[in-house]
Amino acid sequence: MEIKKNVLSCDVLIAGGGVGGLTCAIELKEQNPALDVMIIEKQFAGFGGKANKGGGVLQYFQLDKITPLDFLRFHVNEIGCFLGDQNVMLKYVEMNHGMLDKLSSWGVSVPKNPDGSYNVMPTGPFTAMIRVELDITLRMRQRCEKLGVRILDKTALSGFYVKDGRIRGASAYSILDDGNFYTISAKKAVLATGSQNYRFGSMWGSGRGDGIAIAYRAGAEMRNAEFGNFSQLVRYKSHHEVVFGENNMYNAKGEFITKNFTDHRQTDIPSTAIREWYVQMMAGNGPVHLEFGPPPGGAAPEKKDPPDLSKMSYGDKFRTLNWMDSQSVDTDFEVVPSLIGEQSCIRTDGNMRTTVEGLYAIGDCSYCGSGAPGAVPAPPGRNRGSGILNAVFAGIVAADDLAAAEYRDPEPIAETEINESLDYTYAPLFRDEGYDPKEVIRLVQEAMAPSEYSVYMREDRMDEAMKFVDKAAAMVDDLKASDMHGVLSCHEAEYILLSAQMHYFASRMRKESRGWFLREDYPETDNKNWLKWIIVKNVNGQMTAETEDVPIESYPVKLPE
Amino acid sequence: MIGTNHRIEFDPEKCVGCQMCYKACFVDVIRWDEAARRPIFKYVEDCEHCFCCMSVCRRDAIRVIPDHESEHLLQHFDRYR
Repeated sequence: MEIKKNVLSCDVLIAGGGVGGLTCAIELKEQNPALDVMIIEKQFAGFGGKANKGGGVLQYFQLDKITPLDFLRFHVNEIGCFLGDQNVMLKYVEMNHGMLDKLSSWGVSVPKNPDGSYNVMPTGPFTAMIRVELDITLRMRQRCEKLGVRILDKTALSGFYVKDGRIRGASAYSILDDGNFYTISAKKAVLATGSQNYRFGSMWGSGRGDGIAIAYRAGAEMRNAEFGNFSQLVRYKSHHEVVFGENNMYNAKGEFITKNFTDHRQTDIPSTAIREWYVQMMAGNGPVHLEFGPPPGGAAPEKKDPPDLSKMSYGDKFRTLNWMDSQSVDTDFEVVPSLIGEQSCIRTDGNMRTTVEGLYAIGDCSYCGSGAPGAVPAPPGRNRGSGILNAVFAGIVAADDLAAAEYRDPEPIAETEINESLDYTYAPLFRDEGYDPKEVIRLVQEAMAPSEYSVYMREDRMDEAMKFVDKAAAMVDDLKASDMHGVLSCHEAEYILLSAQMHYFASRMRKESRGWFLREDYPETDNKNWLKWIIVKNVNGQMTAETEDVPIESYPVKLPE
Repeated sequence: MIGTNHRIEFDPEKCVGCQMCYKACFVDVIRWDEAARRPIFKYVEDCEHCFCCMSVCRRDAIRVIPDHESEHLLQHFDRYR
């Protein structure tokens, strides 16, 4: 394969064509049509990201019944556990109705009642949801194209060109075997590349941490890296998620075990449900299964006749196929935890600026890094419907800042820098021998997937997990690929490994339990010593960490006396 | 997911060459044969049984057959006994 060097330029380069990247591009072009905006997406913009693979719901706040502060208070106490940036969360809630209106104006089908109000499903005292068709990102791509956004599909980000802490552009490569390598001079750049899901689960766990690792390499700070260990109950054979299954857990003795970790219905699964599964299994009380019936378990899922798929929309067909698959192999309701991950740790300020000048991070790659959700892996961070809308929120906030920004021509990228990036990008292809990237990925999965390693943590168990991580680290510089699909896998293996390293690096530091973060050896929440963010960064190739106090005294919701 | 053994059945007679399955596959399992105007299921070993390609196909030309046993949850079941 001959490598072809292409040189491109734009005002704003957006990496990632999911809902966050598309939002940012639309909002920017609507505010300033003269800006030259380009999206690169390693698969297909409009099909990338998770918005078209998940539950298809948008969070809705009934602001005629509750105030944004009411929700904030609920979230800080129940979910974020005082570790969040309350200003960002408050702004998100306040923008809720405006975001829905924008989506509608961009061609997204947000269902409405005959009187023009949104068709809302209440889900709790502080939350409600609106269903949205899973073609949401396709509609947004169409809007982007109409506004003149340039889109490069099947093009993966490889690295950034940074000088004196300021972004100058990026390198990227085609994942097709056409040899196209791109040097993109950009005045500003936005990462919208998704979270880290460790290439483990199916469905919406599609993030590979590309932007997280590339930002880390470029010197950007990370925050809340230890909150990237989300796990969900799945059916034993099909591995399909059982959303809200935590309310219905029973052990093999027939004991209702949900009561051991909660006395009320949760907004979404807490990590204590995963801990309970582990404790029951270790006590020989497994397997754990779900039972449906009268409260407290709740009603059983409806039994349905085989549906007619030919008349269904994409979203309905997608959900039905997954449900039918699950029903075809799981004859009972035995459940086990499955890692989902969701590390989203690129640190941003309230305008989604990273600590590298000119570089922004939005959506799933910076959800926890923005500080908004607090002590919980996100998206959606036990806050159903917030995944898509957080990406819309962050995309709008970043675009507002970018629209008002000053644009200067970046310093040219030298040929030596281009060649260095090219050599790094294609190294796995030109190596005579090396490891299969899947060996590295499997080792990292061995370290991250067991619940007692990554969710219900303890020092000695983290030591065990790190043996897998260290083994993977010894291999990662010698990966081999035979084509561009393999090259992408090699780079993803690097990103996956880095995320696991950051997870355990920060998790060993945090000597307490808080929100989702559980340590068997430090079971108590320690507000005196650990109301802090852990900031991880790359200093001359070494992973370092420091802590920063959460400025709780400046936030609306204070610690209880 | 890695190391899975899912299968994909494809009926080229039903396919109309719309490229939707190629575009929908977010794990690059499906490539596009421009000359034949048909998908190539090139990296089936990376299929995650998400059913996206099946869901977008309006001609019912694709069938994904998961092998669930080839997916590993990596929980330490032997330790839990």
